[in-house]
Amino acid sequence: MSTPASSSTLGPRGGALAMASGERPRRSAATWLAILFFAGALLFGGIALALGDVFYLRLATEALIFGGLALSVDLLLGRVGLLPLGQALFFGLGAYVSALVLKNWSDSFWLALGVTLAFSAVAGLIGGLIAIRAKGVYFALISFGLAQVLSKVVYNTRELGASDGIIGVPSANIMWGVNSATPSGFFLVVLAFIGALYLVLRYLMDTPVGRQLDAIRTNEHRVSFLGEDPWRYKLGAFVAAACIAGCSGALYPMLRGFVSPELMFFQVSGNAVINVIVGGTGTLIGPLYGSAILTGLRSVVGSFTTHHHIVIGVLFVLVVILMPRGLIGYATPALQRWLDARRNQKENR
Amino acid sequence: MSNAMEWLQFVLAPQMINGLSIGVAVVLMALGLTIIFGLLDVINMAHGEFYAIGAYLAVALLATGMSFWWALVLTPLLMAVLGFVTERGLIQRVFHSKDRHTLTLLLTFGVAVVLEDALKIAFGANPLRLEAPISGATEMLGLFFPNYRLFVMLFGGALIAGVWLLVFRTSLGAIVRAAAYDRNMSASLGVPVQLVYAGTFAFGVALAGIAGVLLAPIYSVFPTMGKDFVLIAFSVVIIGGMGSIKGALLAGLLLTQVQSISSLYISPVWSDPLLFGIMVLVLMWRPQGLFGKLGSA
Amino acid sequence: MNPILSVKGISVQFGALKAVQDVSFEAQPGKITAVIGPNGAGKSSLFNLISGAIRPSSGSVRFDGEDVTGRAPHQLLRYGLSRSFQITNLFFELPVRENLRLAAQFLEQGRGLFRPLARSQTAAARVDELLEQFDLRNKADELAGYLSHGEQRRLEIAVSLASRPRMLLLDEPTQGMSHGDTRETESLIRGLSHNHGLSILLVEHDVDLVMQLSDFVVVMHQGQKLAEGTPAQVRANPAVQAAYFGEKL
Repeated sequence: MSTPASSSTLGPRGGALAMASGERPRRSAATWLAILFFAGALLFGGIALALGDVFYLRLATEALIFGGLALSVDLLLGRVGLLPLGQALFFGLGAYVSALVLKNWSDSFWLALGVTLAFSAVAGLIGGLIAIRAKGVYFALISFGLAQVLSKVVYNTRELGASDGIIGVPSANIMWGVNSATPSGFFLVVLAFIGALYLVLRYLMDTPVGRQLDAIRTNEHRVSFLGEDPWRYKLGAFVAAACIAGCSGALYPMLRGFVSPELMFFQVSGNAVINVIVGGTGTLIGPLYGSAILTGLRSVVGSFTTHHHIVIGVLFVLVVILMPRGLIGYATPALQRWLDARRNQKENR
Repeated sequence: MSNAMEWLQFVLAPQMINGLSIGVAVVLMALGLTIIFGLLDVINMAHGEFYAIGAYLAVALLATGMSFWWALVLTPLLMAVLGFVTERGLIQRVFHSKDRHTLTLLLTFGVAVVLEDALKIAFGANPLRLEAPISGATEMLGLFFPNYRLFVMLFGGALIAGVWLLVFRTSLGAIVRAAAYDRNMSASLGVPVQLVYAGTFAFGVALAGIAGVLLAPIYSVFPTMGKDFVLIAFSVVIIGGMGSIKGALLAGLLLTQVQSISSLYISPVWSDPLLFGIMVLVLMWRPQGLFGKLGSA
Repeated sequence: MNPILSVKGISVQFGALKAVQDVSFEAQPGKITAVIGPNGAGKSSLFNLISGAIRPSSGSVRFDGEDVTGRAPHQLLRYGLSRSFQITNLFFELPVRENLRLAAQFLEQGRGLFRPLARSQTAAARVDELLEQFDLRNKADELAGYLSHGEQRRLEIAVSLASRPRMLLLDEPTQGMSHGDTRETESLIRGLSHNHGLSILLVEHDVDLVMQLSDFVVVMHQGQKLAEGTPAQVRANPAVQAAYFGEKL
């Protein structure tokens, strides 16, 4: 009871935390894996551009956008320890707000994003006040229920296009003539956006605020005896996650030119959770990998059959049973061991 | 005065009877869910899918020419086997991990995704109809009640009473409750805990399956029926108190009554939000629900 | 001298069980006050009432003159009241150093929340101090869950001290400890009181330890205060002896 008999199967390991406390200035495995991801994405973009491809660039952009949603899930699941089964609510809301701004107000990328941010913060605050009181399965169900309910409301609201959603959303103007209609240009913009999100989150994890979230995940009860009110931190994390999901969603209509209630459906929330678990809960870069790989997989399998859900579902069940820490969750310590072994070799020369 | 009586007789009462027939099935499903949680401490997110599988199984069995009554008996037996296999094959693999709660939630969630798509593959995405085995209506108090719904109420009620007796009045039930209360102690007293776990999960799944069969002639049968129903099942269990049989019974009947009566005044689109709102309020005011855990019923 | 902790008429009821009934006592600053009593006496409930874990149904708790009745634990820490736990309540998945840092962060008083950890130098210094004081330096990077029981209990006390409280509530600090560890803990507690002037409220089962260590003892029995006084006075009290009848005094 007082020993971690098998140290937690989800979330970052204590050893990695000790290392991340700034004692060693050399690059850790986690950093290398992140560099690999973004470098790989840039390489992909370069090749696609050279080949004049549009489809795969747009698919990759979509994977990144859902990667943002996955990041918001990971913030709650991997860091605070809350499982959100309805995060698509904020993603979809962000998409709708962005679509409405672009269609009816101005085609400015920044305005759409700004309005979405404000809206998501308010929505996150309201949702958080309802959901944060609950823990574990109750939180998951409230999150699930909120998304179910609100998506039904949107589905039945004629002003929002009902089941058809909003179509004919113009492309967004970013700056210097770059707009979201250019596949390669927008891919780079979204990559930069997600990269910035990742960096901010990664930075936060080594600040007192971020560590407090880890403490809440590990032993919430004790936290208040150390002088902090866990409720405030959980609410803050929830609002932040809502904003991240919302702003990621805002990019969707810029890419596809439409929004529909499906963006709020459980399918999207469920996929996000799957992306996080397969990629590696708590690693932040894992969810991005997961989103990239699984979006690609869904597309590939989907071109063969409409039943790609069962394939992903089976894969997910296998991951939960056999490798619950996810791809990056296992790759990081393995890579770290290899790096340490190499450093020892160099130092012993 | 007579207007109120008429309203009561022709408007309210039929809705309440309808609500009761649905309520009985909801209670059966909620009982399965709450028993699984009460004993195994597992949140079965696939419970809705087992309900759907029950309905589809009945459709399939009827298509082979079997009568509804045989299907009604056979389906829960087959579901129990499915439940047993699921528990032993999948749930046990993450059961002993430190993150058991999150992992079983995720696992059953994954199983739900797989099962839903499996149903779509096997039966197609279109809704199927199941003919009610009893047709016609009986006249009571000046109103006509569909015979099938009366049957559902009676049969379901008998089944609920049976579950209650099984859990609280038999030694088998006592063993299960003991294992829920203190697993290690029960094991050291010779209770085959692994078997009890798998059997209980199977039992819960069978209950969901029966609910599916019973409601199939009333609602149509379609692949997402599980997901739609799972929210109301969880709402009932949460409001009643996770692990409480009494709670599942009361909350199930109450909520379905609220649903039926409210459908008189508000559009059906709002019935889910209403139930969900009630669930959230109960969670905020009294997180443990109306009653406690299985150990103390 | 004004008491640092003043409990008046505090009561709490769990259903029909009156766990704590109308208990009053005072603890003097810089002294070690102990609460003892046979099983079921209500010591833990009293402890939880004072430390903010549960709310009393009546009565008041005053800390250094201020009314802190029913305040949440994180608020109590701001007043200078900290507690340790009977069942070790550490962050088992985190390293020892991180456990202490989380607790010491309090000293930064909300500054540098969004700054890198290295900037919180007050907290970092405190962590080093505690590692030294509690002889945990060589285990600093070990996960708290992998420590021995005695080391965990030491860490438990260190964590509750990190915020430099004015009064420390210790909940059965030697619970489950070996004889050697108990003696070490005893001198640790004595040192905290005598060398650092820390006020300590102690709930303990080990009556010998309490008698050797405390300046003032409060005896509880079936939810009520039975007696209070110096260890010698309490020991000689016939009512106390009767309550402990059959148990070593």
